[in-house]
Amino acid sequence: MILRVRFHGRGGQGAKTASRILGNAAFNDGYNAQDFPIYGAERRGAPVTAFTRFSESEITERGFIFSPDVVAVMDDSLTADPTASPFAGLRKGGLAIVNTAKPAAEVNGGRTDIAVLTLDLTRRALDTLGKAVLSSGIAAAVARASGITSEAFMRGLVEELKEVGLSDDAISKNVALATAIYDVVSPIKLHTEELPARADLVPLAVVVSGEGTEDVVNTGNSASRHTGNWRITKPVIDYLKCTDCMICYAYCPESAMSAGPDGRIAIDYDNCKGCMICQTECPLRAIGSQMEGLQ
Amino acid sequence: MRPELMTGNRAAAAAAKLARVDYVPAYPITPQTEIIETIADWAREGTMDAKFVQLESEHSMMTAAGAAALTGARVFTATSSQGLLYAMEMLYNISGWRAPMVLMNVSRALAAPIVLEPDHNDVLSARDSGFLQLHSETCQEVADLVLLAYRVAEDKRVMLPAIVNLDGFYLSFTREKVSLPEQAEVDRFLPPYDPPHPIRATRPVSKGSAVMEGYLYSYFRYNMHAAALRAKEAFSEAARDFQDLFGRAYGPVEGYRLDDAEYVLVMSNSFTTLGRQAVNRVREQGVKAGLLKLRMVRPFPTEEVAALLKGRKVDAVFDQNLSPGLGGILYPEIAASLYHVRDRPGALLPVVGGLGGKQLTSDEMCQVFERMRGVDVGGERPEPMFLMRDEELTKAERAVATAGVHG
Amino acid sequence: MSTATKFKTLKDIPKEEYIAPGNTMCAGCGGILAVRIFHKALGPNVAWVNAAGCMTISVSYPLSPLKSNWLYTAFASAPAGAQGIRDALDVLMAKGKLQKSEDLKVVVVTGDGAAYDIGFQSTAGAIQRDLDFYYLCYDNEAYGNTGFQMSSSTPYASSSKTTPVTAAYPYGNTGRKKDLFEAWRAMKAPYVATLSNSHGVDFLRKVEKGEGIRGPKLYIDFAACPTGWGFDPKYSIEVEKLAVQTGVWPLKESVDGVVRHTYVPRALTPVREYLRTQERYGHLFKPVEKPEAIATIQRSVNDYWAKVAAEESTQATPAPA
Repeated sequence: MILRVRFHGRGGQGAKTASRILGNAAFNDGYNAQDFPIYGAERRGAPVTAFTRFSESEITERGFIFSPDVVAVMDDSLTADPTASPFAGLRKGGLAIVNTAKPAAEVNGGRTDIAVLTLDLTRRALDTLGKAVLSSGIAAAVARASGITSEAFMRGLVEELKEVGLSDDAISKNVALATAIYDVVSPIKLHTEELPARADLVPLAVVVSGEGTEDVVNTGNSASRHTGNWRITKPVIDYLKCTDCMICYAYCPESAMSAGPDGRIAIDYDNCKGCMICQTECPLRAIGSQMEGLQ
Repeated sequence: MRPELMTGNRAAAAAAKLARVDYVPAYPITPQTEIIETIADWAREGTMDAKFVQLESEHSMMTAAGAAALTGARVFTATSSQGLLYAMEMLYNISGWRAPMVLMNVSRALAAPIVLEPDHNDVLSARDSGFLQLHSETCQEVADLVLLAYRVAEDKRVMLPAIVNLDGFYLSFTREKVSLPEQAEVDRFLPPYDPPHPIRATRPVSKGSAVMEGYLYSYFRYNMHAAALRAKEAFSEAARDFQDLFGRAYGPVEGYRLDDAEYVLVMSNSFTTLGRQAVNRVREQGVKAGLLKLRMVRPFPTEEVAALLKGRKVDAVFDQNLSPGLGGILYPEIAASLYHVRDRPGALLPVVGGLGGKQLTSDEMCQVFERMRGVDVGGERPEPMFLMRDEELTKAERAVATAGVHG
Repeated sequence: MSTATKFKTLKDIPKEEYIAPGNTMCAGCGGILAVRIFHKALGPNVAWVNAAGCMTISVSYPLSPLKSNWLYTAFASAPAGAQGIRDALDVLMAKGKLQKSEDLKVVVVTGDGAAYDIGFQSTAGAIQRDLDFYYLCYDNEAYGNTGFQMSSSTPYASSSKTTPVTAAYPYGNTGRKKDLFEAWRAMKAPYVATLSNSHGVDFLRKVEKGEGIRGPKLYIDFAACPTGWGFDPKYSIEVEKLAVQTGVWPLKESVDGVVRHTYVPRALTPVREYLRTQERYGHLFKPVEKPEAIATIQRSVNDYWAKVAAEESTQATPAPA
């Protein structure tokens, strides 16, 4: 038996930590375990991927998990994010654990050949920890679903949280959160089948038919990155109070504020990351905030 | 133009001038310095229409060189030895930017210990950098290869920087006959540099951006490899035009007395002249000896090497460099070129010599042929030769005794 | 400050955007904000030359937020890249191969790791050669892109990944922040200035002033780093403001070696107010406050401003905290 788990989160949500907690837990439970994160251009809020494999026998795999048995999706906006593609390669009969307040049918990525377990981890994390750090919760859900014992999991959780330098108080809050989630999930017996996939290898002559310089001639083309997906909190302008003083505009690091045709300040929500500098700096308190996904 | 006596360094500078180079960022290092001093003179006199700037290190010199090439200037510069290593990070960047330029490397062995004379560990350390490499045997070749290097580097199929190598002292400071071509003919040979997306106000471009993903990185690296391979056809075409205009023929390799040769010695750079002399000497004794000179080292002339070395009784590779724990650096490249040749030579003898410019006698080179004839063809791998004459060992041991050892 | 400035209030900030939305920097990044404001002040026709750092990743193929030219060089040698571009433009224009309308303002942009450490030599070279360029250092006081390790810009008593707080090292970093402003000034750069995003008009005017000066124009921007410093991104500007008001980050400029403070706080806010906003100084307050370390920092700030008072006697100087 080998189980391959792929975590999809946004920078700052704790995908890497979750993969390590699960790695610890499986190792403590007597499995061979392997975990690793992929670092890229990710920043706080950008899509992040991390992996855990555990097996009764020696693990003969390494690197990116193309065909996971379980995907753990820590932010439901990722289910529709093509750069994240959390369901890609998920085995038939596999399990997706999605942090969401929405019904499973809305966050299954269109896959009907998988099991979907939804949990509102963000709400629980905000209630227990006071911030949307999801590593303990998502790791607890995966550990319980895959049948890792409570003792092995809790020990692995505490080991990892100590390793990342959390205070005793923060650790005990995380343990409380993890215990609550561990208790609401049931073990799931998975019978997964790898999806048929064969990609043809391309001859070098075909690969190199282009110009081959990595020049970007379409400069200023980054709006398609849609960094608005990174947002946890959304700034909302109260136009009754706003006097278009331009202070928010001046201090927006994203160029996401602009004066519209009517001369009024508008926010480009496609790329506003929700840093909320505008709210802090607004002298008239004309900018409010909304939690994303909790309206 | 009437032939004149000049050093390899001056030939390099003269070729840069004929190439109508726009920009020369520079930094001094022996034995290259004469090149940049000569250009500094010409630029200040106004006899060469180029901007000369001295930087504060080779790393910065190469950064400025690459950035200027990306802005549309034709760039020339020179270094040696430690300087090339100090700039090494930028070599990979400049080739990755696909910024054509010409860098002279005046070979000098690498510290430690410090020495001023040549071997090829410096230039071969750049063999994987994406720079094209052309190596010269004579001062005439230095000048000609600079012009060929610009033509090939700036070819739209290639767009890669190039190193032209000349040995310190044995070429850099050696005066011999050089015929420089006329400016008008060089202008016919070498069109103006016209890169596709230079850095511009009206057409901004982003260069050297991160790719962050392996598939994109692989895509661009494969493209660079393909461009380097295309440099072979670009070189052949350029060499044809060169011969038409200037009468001198250049291939990626050059054979010497190969027609009926049974024993062939592979060499590169200035000591090749001594190899030719040895071929002539052993030929007088009835040995069917020949020589293959590597002129182009990147892209590697795999097919040409295979075609000219196959069917021989024994070939030898003379490496004027050393990869400690392996041996010569070019030996495995030659061996790989021969692996899939049906009629490959009976043996391939590794020879290392000339490190730090250690002098070679023609007698030593004759002994290499002697050893080739003694090789057990089809038998065990021949024992590598590391050239050192007995009187040299005696002198070395005397020096070590003088330096003393703690008892 | 000359009265000819275009920038009277923050409302005068140019409305052209030269950085498209969708950059990859962290939310609340002071560095990208500095680049945005700097670019607005300079206008179009810019070539940015970058050394390794957070900003490098902002241009990730095939997307570039910058509408102007960009060249990533290497960690150590962005000023040499600026030299190559400047020289190439000059020589091509001199030879008539390029129209004057194609001229560009060449701007090096690096973090403090490049400016204070590995690129210090190439910057010194460019200054010595009197290269006509701008240098914008977004100073977040550590190697942020690699996860916040100490640089020679890291202040005393800041923790970092390579100056962790342990029983033997209760204050984190034991070294002092290198005085890059003075180092650059000592090399005779005609214009050197410090910036803070929180003081936007001062920022804009200094860039405007640099435009009138030929040669190296060097700027150090105090770039708040929510991720590395450990604070909520919404306080980015507030943290910078506090650094200025506590006197930790003096706003000043040097024109041909003559230093003038462009903003002098009336009275210094105690540094404690600034330090406690950031987790990198968290060990100075938790589990128990370490007043001796805070006092050491306060003393060095007070000494600095006392010296300013002595040297710039015509200026009002702040009351020490």
